[in-house]
Amino acid sequence: MDLSLNGDQTQILDFIDSLTKPYAGVPMHDTSFALTSDELDCELVQNGFLDVMAVEELGAVTAALVVEKLARLPVSVESAFSALVRPIIDPELPRPICLVEEGRLTGPVRFLKPGASVVVVGANGVRSFTASAEMIAPAQEDTLYAYPVSFLTGLPNDMRKHDIAADEVLRQWRVALAAEAAGLLGAALDSITTYLSERKQFGRPLATFQALRHRLAETQVATNCVYWMALKAAGTGDPADAAMAALLAQEAAKRVGYDYHQLMGGMGMTLEHPMHLWTYRLKLLTAELGGRGGQALAAADAIWG
Amino acid sequence: MDFDWTTEQQAFRQSLKDFLAKNLPEDWEKFSEHGPASPALTRFAREFCGKLADNGMLFPHWPKEIGGEGLGPWEQQILAEEMWIAGEPRGGQYMNVNWIGPTLERYGTEEQKAQYLKPITDGATLWCQGFSEPDAGSDLASLRTRAELKDGNYVINGQKIWTSYAGLADTCFLLTRTSNDRKKGITILLVPMDTPGITVRQIPSLIGEGDIHEVFFDDVTVPESARFGEEGQAWEIIAYSLRNERLGIPRFYLARAALDRAVSILKVRGEFSGEIVRAEAARCAAMCEAAKTACYALVQKRVDGLAIGPESSSARYAVVQSERAVCEFVVEYVPEALAGASPYLKMHHQRGIVAGIASGAAEIQLNIIASEVLELPREPR
Repeated sequence: MDLSLNGDQTQILDFIDSLTKPYAGVPMHDTSFALTSDELDCELVQNGFLDVMAVEELGAVTAALVVEKLARLPVSVESAFSALVRPIIDPELPRPICLVEEGRLTGPVRFLKPGASVVVVGANGVRSFTASAEMIAPAQEDTLYAYPVSFLTGLPNDMRKHDIAADEVLRQWRVALAAEAAGLLGAALDSITTYLSERKQFGRPLATFQALRHRLAETQVATNCVYWMALKAAGTGDPADAAMAALLAQEAAKRVGYDYHQLMGGMGMTLEHPMHLWTYRLKLLTAELGGRGGQALAAADAIWG
Repeated sequence: MDFDWTTEQQAFRQSLKDFLAKNLPEDWEKFSEHGPASPALTRFAREFCGKLADNGMLFPHWPKEIGGEGLGPWEQQILAEEMWIAGEPRGGQYMNVNWIGPTLERYGTEEQKAQYLKPITDGATLWCQGFSEPDAGSDLASLRTRAELKDGNYVINGQKIWTSYAGLADTCFLLTRTSNDRKKGITILLVPMDTPGITVRQIPSLIGEGDIHEVFFDDVTVPESARFGEEGQAWEIIAYSLRNERLGIPRFYLARAALDRAVSILKVRGEFSGEIVRAEAARCAAMCEAAKTACYALVQKRVDGLAIGPESSSARYAVVQSERAVCEFVVEYVPEALAGASPYLKMHHQRGIVAGIASGAAEIQLNIIASEVLELPREPR
C-alpha cells in the first residue's frame, strides 16, 4: 500500500500545469457552452500525456491523474477515453475516442465529429468505426452541455471487431468517467469557494453563513472521495471499484450540479460566471452508462454476484 | 501509487486473524453484544489484551524505544481493522494503544511515563476521557470543571458527562479549567478514578450496556504532579490526540462487514434480487470503500512523516456517512436484526450510530472543513 505520488507522477503533473497555464484562465462574460482548444489537444498529444498508461512505470493511475488534472481546465479536451480506455482496445485508434453503449445510441455523444473513433460496447462485443459526416446528425448549436456533442444517425454495417471483452471496456469506461468527474468536481469546488468567499450579502461574505458552509463542506467530502476512488479503481483494475467510483462520481455530480448554481444565486443562472463549464459537463456524465442505477447494479453484480 | 497490500502486510493481517480465531471464545459473537465498556467485555479485554501483549500484538506500531515492534502506520491500521471487525475484543483499551500511550510518550513527565505506560503495555488498564460536560459538548472549550492549585495539590470540582468507560476505568484523562482564558485556560490532569470525591453514574443508552456515564468531581484532590503538560496546554495536546483518535476507529471496515452479513441474510431468504435493494446495498458499499480510501490517504501521510491536518475531518465525515447508510440499510431490509435476531448486526448498529457524535460531532467536522480545508472566511462570533 502506497498512496503517495511518485517522482514521475509529480513531474508529469507539474509539467501539465506549465503546459496548460495559457488555457487555465476563464474568459468571463464571453463563455460559450463548450470551450475547446485544438492547440492544447495537439500539445497534449505531442508531449505524450495521453499515452502514459502504456508506460510500465506510470500505468493507469498516472493516466487517471492526468485526466483528473486536465478535466479541471475551463477548456475541454478529449482525454479520458484516449488516456484510459484506448490503450486497452487499440492504442492506435485515431482520436477523439467516443464510447457508446449498444442499446443507448440516441444520446448525445461527447466529442463526436468526422474522423473520430466511435467504439460501440455491448452484447455484441467491442466494435469500432471511424465516424464520417453522414453518420453524424447536423451539429448541435443549442446544446446546454459544456462538451461539444453530436448525435449518431446510425451504425455502419462493417464495424471493426476488437478482441477484448465488453465488460473490460465498461470497467475502464467507469474509471475514465470517475477520473474526469474528479477533476470537474475539484475545479467546480475551487470556483464556488472563491465566489462565496468574495460575494457579500447582509454585509458579509456568503461563505460566512453556516447554512452554506456546511453544504460546501459536504461537497468537499464527496469530491475527495471521488478523487481517491477514481485513483483506486484505476490502480486495482477491479470492476467493483470501478463501478463504485463511477457511482459516487455521478452522485456527487448530481448534487453539485444543483447546489453550486443554487448557492451562487442570480449569478448562478448566467453565463457570466464560468461555473457551467464544469457543472454542465458533470451533468452529462451523470447520464452515462445508465446513470447511478446502472453503476450501482454493476457494483452489486461485481461484489455479491 | 499502489493500492495492494505487501506480502508482509498480508501476513501480518493473517497472523491477527489466526490469533483472534484461536483466542476468542466460541460464543464470542453473542458475547460481543455486550457494549465495549460493559463489565463483561472489560473483564474479557483485560485478559485478551494481556495475551495480545505477550504475542507482540497489542502495540506493534509503537516505536521500539517505548517497547513496540516499530511497525508502521499501515500495520496500526490493519491491527485496528481486524480488531474492530471482530467486535473490538480490546474493549476500551483500543484508546490506550491508539492515542493515550503515544500522547503520554510525547507530553508526559518521566514519572507519568513510568507510572502509566507499563499497565498500558501489559494490557491491564482502562482509561476514560473526561472531556464533555453538560454545557460543553460540541463547544468543548466552554468547559467549567475547575481545578485550583492549593498547597501543591489540584482540587477539582465539576461534572463530566457522556463519558465512555468511566464506570470501570482506572484513570481519567481529565480536562479542567485552571483560568478563564477560553482555550488557554484548560489543563489536563491524570486522575486515578478511585480518588475520593469521584462519583460515577451510568446513563442508560442506546449504544450498549455500561457505555456512557456522568462523572461528578467534589473536592477531588490530586498532587500537582498529576498535571499533564503545562497549565493551559490542554487544547494543543488534545488537538494532537484527537487527530489520532479520528483515524483511530476503522468504522468503515465493520460497516462493510455488517453490510455483507445483511446481504447474506437477504440472499438466503431470496430477497436480494430486486434492483432497488441491490442498488442500495451497492451504494452503501461504495460509501464504505470511499471512506476507507479517504482514511488510507491520511495513513499514507503518517507513513510519509507528515502531520495529519484538518483533512482528517473530511475523511471522518465520509466515515460517518458510510456508517449511517449501512445502519439504515440494515433497519430497512433486515429489521429483525435489532430485535436480537443477529447479534453481529445489532452490535454494529449500536457502535455505528455514535459515529457522528463521538470524538466530535459530524457538524463540527463540517465547520473544520469549511474553515481549514476550504479556508472560507470565518463565521462572525
